[in-house]
Amino acid sequence: MTAVEQHNFGLHCREVSHWFGDNKVLFDLNLKVDAGQFVALVGPSGCGKSTLLRAILGTDLPQEGEILTLQNGRLANADRPGRDRGIVYQKYSLYPFLTALDNVALGLKLDQTTTMFRWFNWSGWAKKQKEFRDRAAVFLDKVGLGQAMHLYPSQMSGGMQQRVAIAQALIMEPEIILLDEPFGALDEATREELQEMLLQFYEENKEAMAEGKKPPYTLIIVTHELNEAIRVGDRLVGLSQYWDWKVDGHQRSPGATVVYDKPAPVFRSDERPDYEMFADIRHEIRQVVYNPEVLQQRDEHVNLSPTR
Amino acid sequence: MLLLLVGYTWVSHRQHQVNPDDTTIPSWSQMYKGVEKFIQPDQKEERWIVEDSIATGRRLFFGLGLGVVFGFTIGMMMGCITPIEAFLQPPISLLAKVPQTAALAVYFVFFGTGMEMYVAMIAFGIIPALAVTVYLAIKDLPSEMLDKAYTLGASHFEVATEVVFKQVLPKFIDAVRLAIGPAIVFLIAAEMVVGDVGFGYRIRLQFKLTNMNVVYPYLVMLAFFGFALDYCLRFLQAKLCPWYQRDSK
Repeated sequence: MTAVEQHNFGLHCREVSHWFGDNKVLFDLNLKVDAGQFVALVGPSGCGKSTLLRAILGTDLPQEGEILTLQNGRLANADRPGRDRGIVYQKYSLYPFLTALDNVALGLKLDQTTTMFRWFNWSGWAKKQKEFRDRAAVFLDKVGLGQAMHLYPSQMSGGMQQRVAIAQALIMEPEIILLDEPFGALDEATREELQEMLLQFYEENKEAMAEGKKPPYTLIIVTHELNEAIRVGDRLVGLSQYWDWKVDGHQRSPGATVVYDKPAPVFRSDERPDYEMFADIRHEIRQVVYNPEVLQQRDEHVNLSPTR
Repeated sequence: MLLLLVGYTWVSHRQHQVNPDDTTIPSWSQMYKGVEKFIQPDQKEERWIVEDSIATGRRLFFGLGLGVVFGFTIGMMMGCITPIEAFLQPPISLLAKVPQTAALAVYFVFFGTGMEMYVAMIAFGIIPALAVTVYLAIKDLPSEMLDKAYTLGASHFEVATEVVFKQVLPKFIDAVRLAIGPAIVFLIAAEMVVGDVGFGYRIRLQFKLTNMNVVYPYLVMLAFFGFALDYCLRFLQAKLCPWYQRDSK
């Protein structure tokens, strides 16, 4: 792998298929994510979005195919959860026994110090801990929680908790961050604030790329809100079991695969998009991805040309 | 509490109208004599209260201490290491069902009637319950929490010490609080049978002499003793796990 390829690499799912007994979930799924992309993953419920996410995370390995990430500078199979991938869940997103600050600093601590160091080099650890907490505090300030950093998760609102959870994953700057319906339990206003926050990170990506550096944040966000997908993602990927599999010679549906993959409009974080303007995109996605009546060739709406 | 005291005074008063020499429900003045008896030195220049407290306290302390350490360690290992889980789970759940007081004789045979016997009995008595509590609490943890720790760069050992341990600790302290009751029951029962000093021994002896004016204060002291221990543990829990509040959510 060349340096340039490494520079742009985010994630590669190659010919991934997965099934549970007779229940076919994913079929021959190919997805390549470049560093710095914000991929919004949509699809009808039960189409295997969560299965795909768990496969990428490495907790439920696909039956066929491989999922590659950069691990310590080398391409490797994502066969167990690791430091190169981050995760934000909708529930269980934070450790209840740590304050917001320590939740964010936890990754730095686990990643950069060993148990031996923490147990036996007290002065060294005290110094490191202060350094980690300072960095976490800066990060929390950035997500607008400078005032709340000493609260425990049970003392925070759902929106605050998700902010901390996102900070916790992002501060590690993993190769790819998975967000599984992160705002699913939040009200509309809070959702929008958190979308803005994600867009701020997208802007940091653009700044880094303008300076020729590797963009720090690459993410896949699973959502069932098309407007959210359009606003946050710079690329829309639709996963669906509704495609014309009969022409491939299958007797019955072999599972969901990528049926839609196109660039999405990009917004600034302070910009409130006029969702009316995207009726066409929404209509197209509803037809191609969500409508069981509309069966098309699976690559008809897959635009594999580089998105930037 | 006040009602209890008033009620007792009334019952005792009535009993003494029937039989002025009654010692089963001693009057307050008799009670005072009883208290004097165990606070003042006896013929051997020993104060019962001091001797009994030291003996019973030491037995309980070492028994609980050993049980807590082993119970927690075994529970953690069962929860975190799959082969150990498969190996230990059946015997532990079986052992948990053996009534310790009924197994007294077994302890006499194996450990004699000294300190070791009391310690072993309390420890073995509470280990299964504590280990199972820890084990179940670990199995209860959402797997998301553990998977996330790995994405943050944790090793297996760090997941155990930094996530599982901290999450389970307050529940374990709750379990220890609950285990104090059975531990005292085991200890007192053993002391009643083979003790030559200690709360159980004294209560049995004085009860045989119908010196209830000693037995009642001893019971009250036992209650306070258990209560104080419970309070210490609650304090410890609040100190170590400030995030853990049963009332919230």
